[in-house]
This record gives sequence, C-alpha cells and structure tokens, in this order.
Amino acid sequence: MAHVQVNQLFKKYGELQVVHGVDFEIGDGEFTVLVGPSGCGKSTILRMIAGLESVTSGDIVINERVVNDIPPRDRDIAMVFQDYALYPHMSVRQNLGFGLKMRNASKVEIDEAVRRTADTLQIGALLHRKPGQLSGGQRQRVAIGRAIAREPQLFLFDEPLSNLDAKLRVEMRTQIKRLHMSFQVTSIYVTHDQTEAMTLADRIVVLRDGRIEQVGTPDDLYSRPANRFVAGFIGSPTMNFIDARLVAEGDTLWVEPTGGPRLSVPAERVGRYRPHAGRQITLGMRPEDFTNTWTDESRAASSAVPLDVTVDIAEPLGSDTLIFGRIGEAEIVCRVTAVAAPPRGAVMRLNAHMNHMHLFESDSGVAL
Amino acid sequence: MSQDAVARPAARAAVSDTGVRWRLAERPFVWLAPLALLLVVTYVYPAIDVIRYSFTDATLLNPQYAYTADSYRSVATNPDLPGILWVTLLFVVASVILQLVLGLLVAMVLHRGVKRRLPGVAAVRIIILSAWIVPGVAAGIVWQLMFNEASYGFLNAMLRGAGISPVAWLSDPDIALWSAVIANVWRGTAFSMLLLYAGLVVIPSSLYEAASVDGATPLKQFWYITLPQLRPILLINTVLISIFTLNTFDLILPLTGGGPGRATEVLALYTYNAVFRNFDLSSGAVLAVLLLAISVVFTLIYVRLLPREL
Repeated sequence: MAHVQVNQLFKKYGELQVVHGVDFEIGDGEFTVLVGPSGCGKSTILRMIAGLESVTSGDIVINERVVNDIPPRDRDIAMVFQDYALYPHMSVRQNLGFGLKMRNASKVEIDEAVRRTADTLQIGALLHRKPGQLSGGQRQRVAIGRAIAREPQLFLFDEPLSNLDAKLRVEMRTQIKRLHMSFQVTSIYVTHDQTEAMTLADRIVVLRDGRIEQVGTPDDLYSRPANRFVAGFIGSPTMNFIDARLVAEGDTLWVEPTGGPRLSVPAERVGRYRPHAGRQITLGMRPEDFTNTWTDESRAASSAVPLDVTVDIAEPLGSDTLIFGRIGEAEIVCRVTAVAAPPRGAVMRLNAHMNHMHLFESDSGVAL
Repeated sequence: MSQDAVARPAARAAVSDTGVRWRLAERPFVWLAPLALLLVVTYVYPAIDVIRYSFTDATLLNPQYAYTADSYRSVATNPDLPGILWVTLLFVVASVILQLVLGLLVAMVLHRGVKRRLPGVAAVRIIILSAWIVPGVAAGIVWQLMFNEASYGFLNAMLRGAGISPVAWLSDPDIALWSAVIANVWRGTAFSMLLLYAGLVVIPSSLYEAASVDGATPLKQFWYITLPQLRPILLINTVLISIFTLNTFDLILPLTGGGPGRATEVLALYTYNAVFRNFDLSSGAVLAVLLLAISVVFTLIYVRLLPREL
C-alpha cells in the first residue's frame, strides 16, 4: 500500500518543456486516473513516477520517501504497458514469475504466486504458451498478471486498454475495476479515454499541455467542471457550449442565447451569477440535460424550461435518440428518450434542465 | 494538363504490373534461369572440377594425369594433417569466441551511444567497419608491422616504452597462433558487431523498462532480455564467422606464412601451399574438398537455423 505525492513536478526535454509544475496527491488504496488529450504529459508523469524518466525538478514521494533518484527496481511498483511488453522468449509462467525471480523469491513462492495469479485472471490454461501464441486480450491479462503476481505497493497503468477492440476494452475495464476492489492497491492509470477515467477512478486528474486543469472525483468533474476544457472533455456526447448574454430583470436572471429564446436561471443560482449580469458568457448544457418526457411537477421540481429545438439530424441509439438541432445560432446535441426520428426542420419541444446549467467566462473559459 | 492525362499512365502502370506478376507466378524458372546459370558457371562447375581433380594424380608441373583414389589415401595418412587440423580448430574457435564477445561489446556501446545521441557515434562505426573492408592481405601486412620484432615493431615499441621486455609475437611458435588470432579478430569484429547491432536495435525498449520495473539489475537485464533476444542473431553470426574464419588464409600468408614451423598453418593455407608451393594439384584438391565439406556442414546448420529462429 502506498501514499503518493507529486510536488511541483517539471519535465524538460532539452528546450521543450512538457510538464509544467504539477502537484497532486494519491491516498492509500486510491485509484487515480490521469486523463487528457495526447501530448498533455500524462504518460510522462507516470513514467517519472515509475522511474523510467528522470525528473527535471520537483519531487515524487512514495510513502514519505523521495524517490527521484531511486531506480525503478527499488520503488516496489508494477507497471502495465500499452504494448504489454511481455518477454517474448519466456512462457506465460515465466513472465508472471519474472518479478519475483528478480527479487530472489524461492521456487515455491514463485509457483504459488503464479498459480494464484493465473486463477484470479483465468489464464491457467495458457501458462506454457509464449506471448506470441496469445490473442490481444490474453496478452493483456498476462501483462496485468505480471503486475499483480508480485504484490507491489503501487500499480501503474499506461493506457493498458488502448490496443484492444471496443468490446474487449469494456470487459477488461470491468476486470481492472474488480481487481482493484479486491486488492485495494494504490493505482495510477493513464488514459486519453474519458469513459475509462469516469468508470475506473476514485479521483481523476485532468491534464492539458502539461498542466493540471482539475482534480476531483468523477462526479466533481461531471457536475462541477472548473472550466470549459474539463466540461468539454468529460461526458459523451460532449457538453453543448452556447454563446449567450446574462441579463438581469428585477429579481430574475436570464440567459439569452444569441438569436435564441431566453432561459430563466433557477432561483438558487441567481445569487451566484448576478455579479456577472450584462456580460457575454458561454452557457454549458450537457446533452442529457435536455429531455422530452416530463410532467408539470417534475418540470417545476427541476427548474426545467420548455425549449423549442429545430431538428437537423436525429440519431437513434436504441435506448436514447441523439437530436442534433439548433437554438438560435447555436448548434446543440440533445440526448432524449427514444423517439421516432423527427424529420429535418421539425421543431421539438424539449425540457432544458436549468438546474444543471454551467456558465463559463467567454475568454478564459473559467467556470462562473 | 487535364486530369485524364495524369490518370492514364498510372492506370497503364497498374495493368502492366499485374501482368508481370502473373507471368512470374506462371513461369518462375524462366526468371530464375539467369541466376541459376551464373551460379552453375561460377560456383557449381568449379566445385565439381575440384572434386574431379581430387580423384587424380595431377600436378601443376605435368599436364598429363590419371584418375586414382590414391590422393585421398596419401592425404589421410599425411602425418602433418592432425597438426594442421588442430591449429585450424584453435584458430577458428578462438577467433569466433573473441569476435562474438568483442562484437557484442562494441555493438552494445554503439547502441548505447546512439540512444544517448552522443556525438561521433557514426565516426566510430565507420572506423570499425573500415577494418572489415581492408583486404585480408593488407590486414596481414598491417599486423606484420604491428607485431614486428625489429625495432620498428609497434607493439614491442610500446612494451619497451612501458619497461616490459619485448614479446616474440611471430617467431615464438606458442605465441604466433594467438597473434594470428588477434589480427583476424581485429578484422572480423566489425562484421560481428554489424549483425549484433542490427539485433540490438530491434529489441523493444519497453522490454528493458518492464524488466527494470520488475526488479532486474542491468546485469540481469543483459542475461534475461538481451541475450535471449539476440539468440537467433548470435547463432547465425557464429555459423557465418566460423565459415569465414575457416576459409581465411590471405591474412596469415603475409603475417607468418604459416610459420614458425607449422604453428600457424591453418587448413586453408595448407591447401594453398599444397597447390601453389608444392604444385601438388591433386592433394590440394582433396584438401579443398575437405574444406568444402566442413563449410557445407556449417551451412546446413545455418540453413536449419534460419526459418526457425528468424
């Protein structure tokens, strides 16, 4: 079990700076996901924690010990690589036992650990095979097995599922979550896939261009994004951003999308947004915050506002239907309960759940 | 220019391309014939001719000869042969081991240098390779000067400078063979390095990263990752440099001429001497057949290794 601290971490390759002073902390047994678009520095940070990249400045602390200058083998970590990095000349059994063998474990200990790992991951039948004789999903299992066989105090995952097909990825995601729930080992997981981040993480660190945008639980990021980048990165389809003006009239506050109908701000948000009245802002609404089923009570309870959306395209997904349409000048996506696809140009009356609204500063994108 | 004009030649090329492929698949022998003919004329015919001469009593002095198997009997009973074979074995085994070890060391240093983007790596590679490009005779002459026991001999001058008594590099029968091995290794290491370097480059770096996370020290990484990953290259390299070394005589000829006594007379040089110094064509042919047989064995090993290991 490990407690990890990353303090003012910088990484430079020559003149190119890729990590700009990153700070975060990971509690004992916590599953933390570093997520961000490619080139955001997430893998570099993970590799610095592993000891595979040198630290330009700042500290990495594992269990109160600064490990900056400690080689990977003495950090008591295990890592699952994107390309699995299984030893091709060794059998699955030897791959699983390699870490223990390097730590001079006895043959009995190694056999026991390999058996236990193989049982956990259901790869007992593959032990005599070489990695070249395994399918992608089986290799992935072995790579995870190699990490857990040694019972390290810290797991590192570097985009472990990105080489798998969609179906297998979902399966392995669940498997990883299950493993973490049963072993409770501190884990750091790097991915560019926000769905993986949301489903796996206790806490998510959102990165962009080598800087942290927000750290929080999946719910924090979904419900209270710190800025427009995080709001757009988390959630699928992505949040709708609508240019609008904030207008005050007496005690009420309105959001006026450019060229569209005004939407009332729910009473509990008026105090928070009033100082910004009169400004040009960006309204953020998630696709799922527009609905097509309601009763008068539910509308009142959720401060929902009726809204006419001009349909451009409808994409039925079975359980839901995505409506691509417009409000005024803005193009929006709404995820509504499955309906027969309305024709192009039809006007659909939807409910805009304003209690889930987000407002961002137009220039900086910071949440108001 | 119209789009049409651009598109048409491309279309024609595509058609003729498939045409060639079709004809190649239909009649491979037509296409292989030129190469086959070249091989028959330059390799098969001389080899058969050597085998034919080995069953004669031919000499270079007399154009008349008769067919006989006595040539084999006389070579087999030649009292010099066991000594020659022993010297050859020592020369080949020592050269191969040293070329493998040194080649691997140099390759690893170069690989490391390239990965760290050190300046001058390309220059070092060219310098090492230049030793390999030098013809054997020239290498022999260079090393003759290095080992020379006269006052201008480079190595002994160095030893004298360091206050160590000079070594009889080429005149002491116990040392001369090792001097020949050193010269041969100097020349052959580059080839070995080249093959092993190519092998090192393709080992994925993530294997080393995984191993270092798994707790392997650099030495263990070498033992458990580098060596097993290089195994096919090491095997093929061993076979190839065994064949090269077995056939080496151009280097030894100017270096020691096979002496002192027969201390450095390897099988290839002995064969050369039999024909061109003793004018004994038939014995030379028998020895050449023996060399060929040994090389064929190595080649068979090589062919067996190729598809399985690569």
